[in-house]
Amino acid sequence: MMRRKLKVAVFKFASCSGCQLQILNMEDELLTLTDAVEFTYFLEASRATAPGPYDVTFIEGSISTPEQEELVRRVREESRILVAMGACATAGGIQALRNWLRLDDVKRAVYPNPEWVKALEHSKPVAEVVKVDYELRGCPVSKERLLSFIKQVLVGRKPYLRREALCMDCRRKGNVCVMVAKGIPCLGPVVQEGCGAICPTFGRGCYGCFGPSIDARPEALASRLREIGMKDRDVARLFKGFTGWSEKFRKVIDELEGGAR
Amino acid sequence: MVSGGIYSGKFGELRKLFNALRLRGYRVIAPKLEDSVIRLKEVTSFDEVPYGWEDIQAPGKYSVREGGKHFRHGPDAPKRILYPPRLELFRLRPDWSVEYPKERFPPTALFAIKPCDLASISVMDRVQGGIGDPYYLALRKKLIIIVENCVEPGATCFCSTMGTGPEARDGFDIAYTRLDDDLVVFRPGSDLGVELLSELNIEPATDEVLRKYYDALKNASLKAKAPFELERLPDELELGLNSPVFKEVAERCFGCAGCNMVCPTCFCFDVIDEPELDGGAVRVRVWDGCFSYTYAEVAGGNFRKDLWARYRHWVLHKFAYWVRQFGVFGCVGCGRCITWCPAGIDLRETIKSVVEWVRSRGGS
Repeated sequence: MMRRKLKVAVFKFASCSGCQLQILNMEDELLTLTDAVEFTYFLEASRATAPGPYDVTFIEGSISTPEQEELVRRVREESRILVAMGACATAGGIQALRNWLRLDDVKRAVYPNPEWVKALEHSKPVAEVVKVDYELRGCPVSKERLLSFIKQVLVGRKPYLRREALCMDCRRKGNVCVMVAKGIPCLGPVVQEGCGAICPTFGRGCYGCFGPSIDARPEALASRLREIGMKDRDVARLFKGFTGWSEKFRKVIDELEGGAR
Repeated sequence: MVSGGIYSGKFGELRKLFNALRLRGYRVIAPKLEDSVIRLKEVTSFDEVPYGWEDIQAPGKYSVREGGKHFRHGPDAPKRILYPPRLELFRLRPDWSVEYPKERFPPTALFAIKPCDLASISVMDRVQGGIGDPYYLALRKKLIIIVENCVEPGATCFCSTMGTGPEARDGFDIAYTRLDDDLVVFRPGSDLGVELLSELNIEPATDEVLRKYYDALKNASLKAKAPFELERLPDELELGLNSPVFKEVAERCFGCAGCNMVCPTCFCFDVIDEPELDGGAVRVRVWDGCFSYTYAEVAGGNFRKDLWARYRHWVLHKFAYWVRQFGVFGCVGCGRCITWCPAGIDLRETIKSVVEWVRSRGGS
């Protein structure tokens, strides 16, 4: 089947590059994939770049500086489908922990010349700046879901990725609920599926790197965690870790911390 | 010579029965202790069945301890075997020809499952069997069922109320009951059951054994009760459609659909087409559930956009609509949705409260 290759771009913002790396990690599929896909802008893979417009653009990282805000707007204009990829791009990432602190304090704690650093007040998800067509969650993003997304775009269908609670996938997989059987706090009931339930499979609680599931009720889970003996502070921390700046988790965190920001 | 009736023998006869199934080439699926949870898994030795272990179940809590006399069902229902959580339906080759999976299901024996789970199979026979699901039927027709009656139901069990236990009535090949450490009562339920029991060293039960047997099951049936009666329940629940109880309970619900997943009868599914890079595709069926927002999502959203409405629908489907749809209740009283609910929500309390609400308003 010959067809025009899909022009794909990968842009990095405030991030660790781990999500892009998942593309390169598709070792078994990469050669077949490049028959159908042309990576026209993907600096982690190649310094050879071509200008837009792009069919699909994957954005890694949060928007943390004024320059990034500018750049992401330009990228949006050049992209037919724009995909926010990973916890940083979809929820602000771990670096969004600074959103609960004063920017000046954070800068001073890290840099000898804080006045040189131009940063936005908040580390923001891409969707706070430009329109995002699809989200691929996770820290890092799931390679399988990323590949599934690309395959679906290639056949020309509207990409379908389940967005329900991780519990469903975890239990389908045959895991035993760690919260019920071991009393381990787990965010699975309110976190989007897609990782393959990695942490519960190894007997750990989900720490939420995929962010809230569709129609999640983190406030109900927070009450339950307190009921089984967790302190407010610890519940807030659990939600804060990776995707705390997502709207739904932020609300619960702020309530637990008494609205202090 | 064994025919219909009730027989008794020593515990060792159970081992013989297990080995006979293996010798006949059955894949034996039985309770098995794994990481401190009693699972339902393939076992190759009788010693893997956790006799001598007991589970402790409560809303949102599960643990096991050694030294107990009776284990109950864990999180896995026969649904996991007969109606797998993820099933490849077929493959589409790049030339668009269709390839169905080869015969995948070996003859299977479910060993030591509980009467509630046996009842769930008869519910599935009406639902999946009733619509002629070929994947279900392929395995179902090769299934042999050895059920263990429940002498000690757990704290979340209510089979007695649902009429599904603690004694299995029909639909099994062999039912057995462990009365003492070394006294087991056997009942055949099919020709194959009679044949298998004929190979064991068992005797028709004496009056004394029968008395013990009936007493034990009667005691058990007094325990496995829910605080409601089935009579008129479907009508009463429908009169409770506007009860505030559903909203109150759903405040605690996470909407994780864990109950859908552990429920032995919940059958909702999603069909996903996964395109391949070579131009082919795979169609898979995965468990879904009515608690999930996307399950009944249509263009523009979900008609039951609020979780409480989806919770209400689940309760009403199990206890009202199901009866009209399939002629039986959709609940078998196994209590898995109670034990395995991470929020610890107790379905029995919900139903009790709705019925009370209806009656307080002079309904029913």
